[in-house]
Amino acid sequence: MLEYQNLFTRVQVRTQPEPGLPIEDSLSGMNRFGKGGFGILGYIAGKFGDAQIGPVYLGTLGVLSAMCFFIAFEIVGLNMWASVGWDPVEFVRRLPWLALEPPPPQYGLKIPPLNQGGWYLMAGFFLTMSILLWWGRTYRRARALGMGTHLPWAFASAIFLYSTFYFQPLIVGSWSEMVPMGIFPHLDWTSAFSIRYGNLYYNPFHALSIVFLYGSAILFAMHGATILAVARLGGEREIEQITDRGTAAERAALFWRWCMGWNATMESIHRWAWWFAVLTTFTGGIGILLTGTVVDNWYLWGVKHGLVAPYPAQNVLTDEQKLQLRGRYQGTSPDSFPMYNVPVTPSAAPTGADATVPMVPADSAAAPAAAPAATPPATTTPPAGGAR
Amino acid sequence: MPLSRFVLRGAALAVVATTLAGCDFFGTEKRVTVQKGYRGTGMEHTVKEATVMADFKATNIPEPVPAAGPMPPGPLPWKNVQVLNDISVAEFNRTMIAMSTWVAGTGNCAYCHNVVNFASDTANNGQPLYTKLVARRMLQMTRHINGQYASHVANTGVTCYTCHRGKPVPNGLWFFEDANQYQRHYLDRDGARVISTAMAPGNDNRSSVRQTEWTYALMISMSNSLGVNCTYCHNTRQFASWTEAPPQRVKAYAGIGMLRDVNNNFLAPLQPVYPKIRLGQMGDAPKAQCLTCHQGVYKPLYGAKMAKDYPALWGRPDWNGTPFPGAYQQAATDSTQSVAANPAPAATGGQD
Repeated sequence: MLEYQNLFTRVQVRTQPEPGLPIEDSLSGMNRFGKGGFGILGYIAGKFGDAQIGPVYLGTLGVLSAMCFFIAFEIVGLNMWASVGWDPVEFVRRLPWLALEPPPPQYGLKIPPLNQGGWYLMAGFFLTMSILLWWGRTYRRARALGMGTHLPWAFASAIFLYSTFYFQPLIVGSWSEMVPMGIFPHLDWTSAFSIRYGNLYYNPFHALSIVFLYGSAILFAMHGATILAVARLGGEREIEQITDRGTAAERAALFWRWCMGWNATMESIHRWAWWFAVLTTFTGGIGILLTGTVVDNWYLWGVKHGLVAPYPAQNVLTDEQKLQLRGRYQGTSPDSFPMYNVPVTPSAAPTGADATVPMVPADSAAAPAAAPAATPPATTTPPAGGAR
Repeated sequence: MPLSRFVLRGAALAVVATTLAGCDFFGTEKRVTVQKGYRGTGMEHTVKEATVMADFKATNIPEPVPAAGPMPPGPLPWKNVQVLNDISVAEFNRTMIAMSTWVAGTGNCAYCHNVVNFASDTANNGQPLYTKLVARRMLQMTRHINGQYASHVANTGVTCYTCHRGKPVPNGLWFFEDANQYQRHYLDRDGARVISTAMAPGNDNRSSVRQTEWTYALMISMSNSLGVNCTYCHNTRQFASWTEAPPQRVKAYAGIGMLRDVNNNFLAPLQPVYPKIRLGQMGDAPKAQCLTCHQGVYKPLYGAKMAKDYPALWGRPDWNGTPFPGAYQQAATDSTQSVAANPAPAATGGQD
């Protein structure tokens, strides 16, 4: 017992693996994978407590979910590999930067060809199916064990945030708004999404989500530390302490009353943690749904509602200067500069109009097929026209 | 613990610590931070002092060629001079010497010229001297930049050396790789602006997140080219705001306009002049971007004013209101304009 008072326990549980309850529902008779055991991972896990790994429950939903995930994983991975010409070395070297990109903007919500985001939609479908089936699995397993359904509903909150990354693009009418599937590319998307919508930090639901996220982390740390600290007094038996409060619960409560003036109980701390975790993703999802649909520039929303600190101007510009500097949005025709057509080589033509194309009008140089090779603009002097 | 193990561990630790310190893993190199915006906004320009000082010392800035004497009276002797025909003979030769240092390697007249006939634009075998044709156009470009873009180059101006740095092919040129690369903003693609100027969604800004990533790539290329971070030109709480941005952003914007002018009217149209080896994989001419001049420094050559010593690069008789030293022959016609408008007369005058 005294071993439990440290951060790691020196007690390595080694006994006959616990097989679990008998199960009725099964897929072709095979409902469990493995027999359970202890092994290398078991030893590391044993540092934190009971180290048995497996047997893994399979079940219909679990197997289907795993299959869907495998399909999505393969689509993403093979597309990434194809994007480096099936070169295994390049694949490994550039893996963090590779992505399966959503369809480019010009497709809107139309069905694109496979190599123009069609694979992406397929991968997204199977990934979503995998997640939903897994949700069903958590619900059915909770019910099968006679538990409450707190876990499935908390998971559902996370799925809600995930789903908004599909619903927001559906509302604004373009697949291209969806998150690319890749390691750095999805981080770049996060940054670009914030910039496009005028700084997501001024989105109050983003702010709430961060509050609950950081709050979850600190609650987790406080709760874990408190329980470990009173473990030598039997505090790790939380359920017993809830119904029959002992010295562990009383000391823990007294500690927090001394430190911050009030305390959660052995029971209520779990409600705090559950709600913080659930609200992190729930508020975040609301924030995503409002972005681009109700608010297009969160900074200006912040200005309107007094969120933005007023700093003195760095530049004093006349209205004329501002007009000159205003810039233009993508998709407008080019300004007074003469056009320079992109030269096209036959090998480059198929990949020319690819997934990274910004939205441009049909008459601009983005349609490289019609471009004659590097014709100098008529308005300029051919420099070779000098003396010969 | 036995002493040997203790010593061994200490040595290992020391090796690790030195290695990490050496590669600046923990940011051990001294930083200098310059405030760029209102206090508390985190708008700072941070440089690694030793790195920048080493780069500064390594930046070779050629001494100006000794000033030319006064101009003797009489007409200019040129047969095929199309750009530098408004300066004295001595100033002309001085500029040629400087150009050979800046671009071709000292004294290497033959890099551009047919040494049998300096006026000729072709080699003895009749092949055009592309280097000379390009150099002529580049002189016009230099005068154009120094004359028209004080909004970006101020009175520092540019010389051949700003980009070339003693090499025939400058660093940081770009070529087409596909139709959608971000560098096209330096040529013909319009509208890096993706942030709405209105709070609510509307039809005037239909930019996508994808386009934002494109702009992002463009901005990072500028950041890398100048060795600065975002806050050098932006208050990042609202990238779009001009009033909250440092004045450098206005200067950078003028630079984009300058690049587009230069790429469209000078660099890209040179495509038919170059031999194949100088062209990109899609057959296009080399084009400039911020990096080509800046080379990682927010002021090219750390702001060295090289151009003020060379009247030939300005196409005007004074520098910042001060007359250039030495004689200056005001030509009857402005060479750049006459050549641009009608190259034929110059052609007939050349190569006899």
